[in-house]
Order: sequence, then structure tokens, then C-alpha cells
Amino acid sequence: MADDKLEVINPPNTLKQKVGTGGAGAVDLEALERAEQVIAGMTDSYLDWVVEDLKKIDKAYANLEAATGDRKAEMEAVFHVSHDIKGQGGSFGYDLMTSIANELCRLIEKADKIGDEEVEAVKLHIASLKLVIGEDMKGQGGKAGEKMLAGLQQVCDKLLA
Amino acid sequence: MLVGYDVAALGQGVPPMADYNIENLKFLVVDDDANMRHLVTTILSSLGVRNTATANSAEKGFGQLYDFDADIVICDLRMEPLDGLEFTKMIRNHDTSPNRYVPIIMLTGHSELSAVEQARDAGVHEFIAKPVSATRLYAKIKRIIEHPRAFIRTEDYFGPDRRRRQDPDYNGPERRKAK
Repeated sequence: MADDKLEVINPPNTLKQKVGTGGAGAVDLEALERAEQVIAGMTDSYLDWVVEDLKKIDKAYANLEAATGDRKAEMEAVFHVSHDIKGQGGSFGYDLMTSIANELCRLIEKADKIGDEEVEAVKLHIASLKLVIGEDMKGQGGKAGEKMLAGLQQVCDKLLA
Repeated sequence: MLVGYDVAALGQGVPPMADYNIENLKFLVVDDDANMRHLVTTILSSLGVRNTATANSAEKGFGQLYDFDADIVICDLRMEPLDGLEFTKMIRNHDTSPNRYVPIIMLTGHSELSAVEQARDAGVHEFIAKPVSATRLYAKIKRIIEHPRAFIRTEDYFGPDRRRRQDPDYNGPERRKAK
């Protein structure tokens, strides 16, 4: 097999020479805590970003709804925005945004057709994402959030069965 | 040390134990999502990093490497038109690649963990399942600093040793011995 012609290379390790250990500027527990606080302080920025993302996903959905043909390109556009929303929510304390967008991505990735039911399910997910931001549902959104996510999961499971 | 080492390796966000000053490390952040680029560069800056370059596509990121001598590359798995896997393969294998040994940290969605094996085979060093946090990112940087990997060239692979030879607890399959 290929391993018969195996060459092992040890590249020069320059990183250890460039980093110091301890002292001012070292990343200790306090520095990590400060960095986490900086991210927490970016929540206002996140809310601006996500409003933009919600506008984008609305537009992508409008195109999907109006599309004729196989709708693949339009669905891909919805997926792209949903994937961005999924990647960001949890970093800023909006875990439910990540969970809902994850469900939406899962639905789009796994669905073997894009029929009216799938398009309707996409609409439901987008409405839920807007509700989370509109109602400022942080974390997993408590009982209401759990119920919302369970409902969406049920819809997806049914369509993907 | 062992406990901290293992937990950090799993990316569970437990603070690592050694305190490194990483201000002199240069990072290239490649993501087609502007907000994620902003988040990652803000985290790096909060950790003291002074020199970060960004690119909004794999192609531009590859081009940046000619002028920017990155110590670590952080990229997203899902990018368009070229994704993080293709970007990694370009860095490792392209004839004109200026920095084919650079450590790469790949950001993935938590439902994309199935892609981890593929990414490892493309030549990625470390993964972070989103959401990204300062603690998780630093744990991966620390791991790269402390555990430099040898590179392996075979007929069908060039990249960091996919076995974690320095990991005393590695109990996965011995790929080399596989027949």
C-alpha cells in the first residue's frame, strides 16, 4: 500500500521560539475571562448582524417561493444564510438561533426533494428564527424555546422519514 | 497535566494550563462570512495577537500567504466557491504553495463532524466545532504550540501525521499497520 513509500518530514518548529511563557501578555485564566467578556460585549453587534442575516434569508425565501424548476439554487441560497446564522448564535448567547438554523440546514441537506411541504417547513424555521430575536430569547429560550425546537424537529423528522 | 491536556483536546472549553504569550504569532483568518471573520479576529486580538490578516475566500487566502508569513491559518469548512477542504489541499499540495507546513485550524458546524475525517485527510491540524469561544480557540492554539506534528508524504497524502504520536492516550487504530 501507499505507506510503503512513506516519507517523514519534521518541519522547523518556529512557534515555540515566537511565544513566551508567563509574564505580562501571557494568556492566563484572567486573560481568557477578559477575552470571553469582549465577545459577550459584542452582543449588540451580533444583533445588528443577525437582523441583516434575517433580511437576507427573507429575500432568499422569497426567491425560493417564486421559483419554478428544481429550486435547487434558491434552496442553496437559503442554506447559505442559515449556515451563517447557525455558526454565530451560540457564540453570543443565542443558542436557540444555532439550534433552529441547524435544523433548517439539516432539512435542506437531507431532503431528497424540494416540494411545497419542504418550502413551507423552511418558512416555519425562518419565522421561528425571527421570533427568537424579536422576543430576545437568549440561551435555549426556556420552555417556550424547547417547545419551538421540538416542533421544528418533528416537522423535519416527518419530512425526512 | 494529563487531565488538562485531554480535556483541551476534546475542545470542551476547560482552560488550558500553560500560559503562553502569543502576541508575536501571525494568523490568517479565512471565512466567507464577514461576521465570523470579525468574531475570530476580535478573539485573537483579545488574546494579545497583534498581526492578523483576513480573506473572504479560499482563493484570496491562498494569495495572502505569498505576502503574509502566517504562523497559523484559521479557516471555515464551508465556504464558496472553494471550501475549507479544497483550501487545505491547495496549501499542502499546490506546486507554488508558499507555506505548505502551516498549521491549519478548521471551524466546523456541530452537525458537520462527519467532515472531520475528510478534513484530517486533507491535512488539517485541529478542529473547532462552533460556537467559537476564546477558551476553545486558545486551547487549539496551545495544542499546536505544544505538539508540533511531523509531516508525512505518501503516494496519496501530504500533511501532518494523522496519528497523534505525542498523545500518550491515543488508542485509535494504527493506520500504518493497517493492511
